[in-house]
Amino acid sequence: MTAKNIDLSVDFAGVKFKNPFLLSSSPVSNSAEMVAQSFEAGWGGVVFKTLASGRWPIVHPSPRMNPYHYGSTKMMGLQNVEQISDRPLKDNLLDLLYLKKNYPDHPIVASVMGFSTEDWQYVAKAAEDNGADMLELNFSCPHMTIEGSGHKVGQAFPLLEGFTEAVKKVVKIPVMAKMTPNITDITEPAMFAKKGGADAISAVNTFRGISEIGRDDWIPKPNIFGVGAESGYSGPAVKPVALHFIADMAKCKGLGLPLSGIGGIETWVDVLEYLLVGATTIQVTTGIIHYGYRIVEDMAEGLRDYMASKGINEVTDLIGKALPNLKETDHFDLERQGRAEYNYDICIGCGQCYIVCNDAAGQALEWEAEKRRPKLIEDKCLSCMVCSFVCPVPGLITFKEMPKQWQRNETAVMDPSLEKELKYERFEEVDLKT
Amino acid sequence: MSYAEHFQEMEKGIGLAHAIAEADRCLLCYDAPCSKACPAETDPGAFIRKLRLRNITGAIRTIKDNNILGGACGVLCPTSKLCEKECSATGISRPIEIGQIQRFLVEYGWQIGFKVFERAKERKEKVAVVGSGPAGLSCAGELAKQGYQVTVFAERSEPGGVIRYGVPAYRFDKKFFKNELQDLYDLGVEFQCNTKIEGKAGVEKLLNDGYKAVFLSPGLWGTQPLIPGPQNIQGVFTSADFLVALREERYEELGKQIKGKRVAVIGGGSVAMDCVESASKLGAKDVYLVYRRSFAQMPAEEDERLEVLRLGVHFLVLNQPVDYLTESSGKVNALKLIRTQLAEPDASSRRKPVEIKGSEWELDVDFVVEAVGQKPDEAVDWSPAVKLDKKGLIVADPESGQVSSKLIFAGGDIVRGPALVVEAVQDGKVAARAIAKALSKT
Ligand SMILES: Cc1cc2nc3c(=O)[nH]c(=O)nc-3n(C[C@H](O)[C@H](O)[C@H](O)COP(=O)(O)OP(=O)(O)OC[C@H]3O[C@@H](n4cnc5c(N)ncnc54)[C@H](O)[C@@H]3O)c2cc1C
Ligand SMILES: Cc1cc2nc3c(=O)[nH]c(=O)nc-3n(C[C@H](O)[C@H](O)[C@H](O)COP(=O)(O)O)c2cc1C
Ligand code: SF4
Repeated sequence: MTAKNIDLSVDFAGVKFKNPFLLSSSPVSNSAEMVAQSFEAGWGGVVFKTLASGRWPIVHPSPRMNPYHYGSTKMMGLQNVEQISDRPLKDNLLDLLYLKKNYPDHPIVASVMGFSTEDWQYVAKAAEDNGADMLELNFSCPHMTIEGSGHKVGQAFPLLEGFTEAVKKVVKIPVMAKMTPNITDITEPAMFAKKGGADAISAVNTFRGISEIGRDDWIPKPNIFGVGAESGYSGPAVKPVALHFIADMAKCKGLGLPLSGIGGIETWVDVLEYLLVGATTIQVTTGIIHYGYRIVEDMAEGLRDYMASKGINEVTDLIGKALPNLKETDHFDLERQGRAEYNYDICIGCGQCYIVCNDAAGQALEWEAEKRRPKLIEDKCLSCMVCSFVCPVPGLITFKEMPKQWQRNETAVMDPSLEKELKYERFEEVDLKT
Repeated sequence: MSYAEHFQEMEKGIGLAHAIAEADRCLLCYDAPCSKACPAETDPGAFIRKLRLRNITGAIRTIKDNNILGGACGVLCPTSKLCEKECSATGISRPIEIGQIQRFLVEYGWQIGFKVFERAKERKEKVAVVGSGPAGLSCAGELAKQGYQVTVFAERSEPGGVIRYGVPAYRFDKKFFKNELQDLYDLGVEFQCNTKIEGKAGVEKLLNDGYKAVFLSPGLWGTQPLIPGPQNIQGVFTSADFLVALREERYEELGKQIKGKRVAVIGGGSVAMDCVESASKLGAKDVYLVYRRSFAQMPAEEDERLEVLRLGVHFLVLNQPVDYLTESSGKVNALKLIRTQLAEPDASSRRKPVEIKGSEWELDVDFVVEAVGQKPDEAVDWSPAVKLDKKGLIVADPESGQVSSKLIFAGGDIVRGPALVVEAVQDGKVAARAIAKALSKT
């Protein structure tokens, strides 16, 4: 297992990144000083905090974030009402120039947002003229205080297409459109972006959410002097949903654009999963808000070691590799069935499996009180496996496929004598095979 | 149970779930205080964070890259005095079990076959390491990682020094050590066992034989008789001889002398604790721990002292041995003691024991172990360039371990006096860096 010859570099819409790990546009990419720090820590590139023209004043609400804790786990999710960059455009452009000069091998993606066609074109051009290697069009902030902007554009597909086209007219560098998750089918806006000329798609921005409500004043948080608002929710809690958006776009036949995956990424395992469903680069904010830039070391090292263990040398060889196995549910082979298998020898007798099986599953466990051990009634097991999710002993409860002739017992009826009172006529069964 | 079963294997460490639960408790401190407290820069702050972020192989790499005896340290370090002492989680509940996590990660690496090291491109320079204890192994590993050709000269038939021939196997066993040593073999380190570097100016010979630098880490294996005068009383052992005999698995020979018999161990340090515990495991009827100061003044860790008390060892504190009484055959049959009381503090700022006149008494014993401190082996004459201090310890530059401009370096117990495995590891690393620097200049 040697991780030495592993190549993490990617070509993304014609731009070369030394690794696929990017800061996403947010406070973590707010200034050159911070971004430089992140490059030193190992990040491959940046999507700089969204630039605005300066024609409309941008003011951040105070306070602007609220965490969603889960038990002792901090920040499963994070809610924010932060606006796009409140710095003068000139300062941001100077910072882009600085980064370009000092870190020429770290591509800069400038996130931009406009409030009219000319406004979009003006910011886009300014970014290109001052060192941006690529643009990201922010069609996706879900809590802009300026009416009709952010994800309102991302939800109005023709507008999104129009602004993309307008920007493409004035710049030569590749343009990526950043999608909002606050829609039904993400391939629709993505196709509109493509029609407008987008060279890549990034997804997703934050989800509209409510992380917490004050228990004394009933004001949702963050509490902005007595007012709460539905606003952008991010972090590990949203990862499974964000991942599906990437997969949907990767599988969309007509789209065929490179993808940048965003949402809840903290570890190399998260990165791997985004790659496997078709992302070429990934972007992170909440993970950095939680742990700092240092997490990139573990992303890179973990991914390298994983690739070495699989004999894969180039990270690009992982992209989309799970897609052939990702199908619609009608492809399942329902003939094959299994059940839980218990290794009682290593059981510590906590009984959590017994509780959940009894209250939320097949009621397939008995409890041997003296020995403090569960006992599986095999033919009652539904194979839902929830017992294994709560079991604290790794490997104690596993899934086991059963032979064809194995039969599961139907869940018993409580009182069969009630049949005489039953008002029911059997519906003809559909034969799924024809 | 046979002797072997009592002695050959240490207790199991923690498992994956326990390690992850501990990592989840970790506060992932900024400028981690645990990392700063580790004498060998093993960097627990980083390896626990890696475990937390599911980067297990990276965590293993951090440990082993920083500390090639990371497994041994995870087992043997007195962590409550080192990394865990500084742990911020103590403020909430209790320290993270850093030593246990470290041991787990190293063992887990063996389990999944994860190799941290690869053989480096070989350099032409040869370096000799004298003594295969933790200091020597660490120096050898560090140099081999950089491609130097390293030969380790080991006096006994297997490498390891104290952790192979001193620490009892129930605390650190052969199987575990064999896995840890494998990394050194993989790195291409050569071992010449059963080879004591001795004779006049033994080090000069190595330098003349083509070794460009020499690292001295012979540890402390000399004995100092407790009671002046002719020795060789049957049934009286030094702690080193006694523990070596155990690690050579001479259980039957020792068992015959100890099982069902009365044993006295003299001393109050960690080594004395290892000796009393071993004597108990060998089936002694009564084990006495004879110490001239009080319980609270014993240098051994508190948990070690309580542990042996629990085993049923009789503590004879405030008693100073004055003589051995023997049978006509020359075998010891009693220990003559005199009671002491504590007076004003001495140089060690502990209150000094003074004998109580006329309080001599005799304790009937069949076997005695003297565990009263180790010192350098006087029989060895290294080189005129190697300067010794009053205690016979080698004088080395603390920044680099350098002893002489002839590229002689030293580290471990022979420089520090009785110290710790983790400190020996650090000395080896520091000297290796200095050696590499010096060699790259020549
Ligand atoms: C019984 C006992 C228990 C201990 N328990 C612990 C513990 O739990 N935790 C802890 O951190 N520390 C413990 N220590 C201390 C720790 O073991 C030492 O600090 C450490 O081993 C010192 O390492 P070293 O490499 O300097 O020397 P050593 O480990 O002593 O190794 C020196 C080696 O060099 C060999 N040698 C000597 N002279 C020559 C020569 N001329 N030629 C060739 N070879 C030679 C010796 O035979 C020996 O193998 C214990 C010590 C003892 C004695
Ligand atoms: C405080 C905060 C501010 C953000 N500001 C922006 C922004 O200005 N522009 C933008 O495109 N996305 C912005 N985002 C969204 C992030 O770039 C990212 O898409 C989202 O947080 C999901 O990724 P994550 O789970 O790694 O945080 C912001 C997110 C947070 C938490
Ligand atoms: S080497 Fe020892 S002191 Fe250092 S971190 Fe590991 S257990 Fe703690």
